[in-house]
Amino acid sequence: MERLPRGRHGLSREYVAQNQRERLLGALAECLHEKGYESTTVAQIGKRAGVSKSDFYKHFESKDNCFLSAYDDSVARIREHTVAGCEAGGAWTTRVLAALGALLDCLSREPAQARLVFVEGLRAGRGVYDRYQEALQSFVPYLRQGAPAPPGETPPPAATDEAVIGGIASLLSRRIAAEETERLAEFLPEIADFALTPYIGAAEARRIISGR
Amino acid sequence: MDAIAELTAEQGYEATKIGDIVGRAGVARKTLYDNFEGKEEVFLTAFDTAVDEAMRRIEESCTEVEGGWEERLQAGLEAFLRYVAEEPALARMCMIEALSATPAATERYEDTMQRFVELVKRIVPHDERLPDTIEETLVGGVAWIVYQQIRRHEADKAEDLLPELSEFMLAPFAATAGREPA
Repeated sequence: MERLPRGRHGLSREYVAQNQRERLLGALAECLHEKGYESTTVAQIGKRAGVSKSDFYKHFESKDNCFLSAYDDSVARIREHTVAGCEAGGAWTTRVLAALGALLDCLSREPAQARLVFVEGLRAGRGVYDRYQEALQSFVPYLRQGAPAPPGETPPPAATDEAVIGGIASLLSRRIAAEETERLAEFLPEIADFALTPYIGAAEARRIISGR
Repeated sequence: MDAIAELTAEQGYEATKIGDIVGRAGVARKTLYDNFEGKEEVFLTAFDTAVDEAMRRIEESCTEVEGGWEERLQAGLEAFLRYVAEEPALARMCMIEALSATPAATERYEDTMQRFVELVKRIVPHDERLPDTIEETLVGGVAWIVYQQIRRHEADKAEDLLPELSEFMLAPFAATAGREPA
């Protein structure tokens, strides 16, 4: 997020406020990435964003409040991208692949945001796990909708959707913590294989992924 | 150590004070400081003890069961779920509080996940067509389901998850085991 020009610039007050807010949220994600939650101060966030301390407090009550807003905003952005992938249409397997591709793409393009949601945010405590759990659960209906059962077998048990989503999130969290965020897209075939197998069987999952 | 598990399960790590721990354990403050540097060390020691005990029971079940890798994997999973059901406070401490208690606790949690990943790798058959990360995603998926079970305060019923979770863990290896055309 670019800083605005100094002095008279003819930009509306709402625009300036929105721009400041977004800069602060971005700065918080970067500070967390560099030094973790405890060592990040309001002054450092403000300095990085180019926003004065008094302006910081016009947007957020506290560091905690700024952090939770940043967390919610980031989750919403990642979610929006992923869901847009699902909603592109096509067969269930096509939609799952599109959603996973969009998710990995979104994470690798914004490493600080990815780290905030999957690593630093979770380590900070402060009720973030409730938000994380809610976000993960919100993907369950998308995965479940139209999910097939392996030919000649009973549909996978109800916990499968949640376990698939939790397993993917856990892998992402480990890889992001290991600073592999920028190459997450390389994991698409593996993650897709893991996600599709419980529903269509390993052989069919491989066939679809290799023919992609 | 039992006291810190109970207290963190009840009120969380941050809210738990040294005074609460010695009060619950019925020991003098001095005794605690003779044995531990402070709250974090009590927590980490309790974490390590619980994880080592869970691992010991799981590995024992895997070794003792008769049959092939499928039986071993299921026996290990069953022993894990039984441990969670029998020790809900320890399970909560290790699988929930440890995630955000302190940086050292988070690291311990991650090392423990890795131990489980390696354990699963030792049990399941090798198949190069499977993703390299399959054990990581399977362990992560199981941990997530159990995490939610504990948060719902239903750790005592963790064993009910066995049929669904074992189906989930076995599914990727079905082709390798010859139960599905490769």
